[in-house]
Amino acid sequence: MLTCKEQVARSSDYLDGQLSFRENLMVRHHLLFCPNCRRFLRQMRLMQATLKAMPEKPQEGIDALAERLAAQRRDDSP
Amino acid sequence: MAADDIHLLARLLAGEQQAFKELVTTYQSAMRAVAYAIVGQRHVEEVVQDAWLSVVRHIASFEGRSSLKTWLLTITANSAKNRYKLNHREVLMDDLPAPHGSIDDNRFSSADGHWLVAPFAWHQDTPEALLTEGELRECLERTLLSLSDLQSSVLLLRERQGLELEEICNLLEISLSNVRVLLHRARLKVFATVEHFEETGEC
Repeated sequence: MLTCKEQVARSSDYLDGQLSFRENLMVRHHLLFCPNCRRFLRQMRLMQATLKAMPEKPQEGIDALAERLAAQRRDDSP
Repeated sequence: MAADDIHLLARLLAGEQQAFKELVTTYQSAMRAVAYAIVGQRHVEEVVQDAWLSVVRHIASFEGRSSLKTWLLTITANSAKNRYKLNHREVLMDDLPAPHGSIDDNRFSSADGHWLVAPFAWHQDTPEALLTEGELRECLERTLLSLSDLQSSVLLLRERQGLELEEICNLLEISLSNVRVLLHRARLKVFATVEHFEETGEC
């Protein structure tokens, strides 16, 4: 059976679907018996979702850029 | 090509300004992250500008063999590589210290590999609730800034832009195993920051 340390070392690969079938089973087996690692993984997922939900920094100059690109495109097209 | 892409493409070809605005708004962050990974912060703006010009110049020949997003990011990666002679580039796997450390070996017993200090149970269980907590956002931003250019770009491309690992490898020309290592180290540091914040209420 994997140790907690080994489970944590595989956690990103587990979340990204990068583990082999066998390693995936080993992680799931460990999780079945280890509440700490279940919490760790649940909070890893929450951390991922939080990064995704962080508001974008407002981008500057979008209108000016769009205007320039559109004008360029109209110049280019026959 | 997705239906949305086809529709947007037609408007872009017609030179519609609002369509370009949508394009920039939707994809510029991802383009910046790709540029950042390859040329570092100092040259991001130039690379993204180069990329946009190249996009306009070649949009009539976009054939939709990939998604619009993949096409834009590929152009960005190429612009970045043109600026920054690729033969000078080595993949920097530097692991810089983060403000709240990582989930490192000290967290585990050297005897049996069990947690010595179990993961602290966070007070919130949704991203929205976490982000309403005062300073956490700033705290996360500080941690992201502490990562190497490559580590933070890979993390952002994966978590914020939703790119597959293989796409990240292809764009940045780094191996899958390097992407996996970069991603894992970055995540553990961000995890440590949220854990520290949840535990102490401080950044």
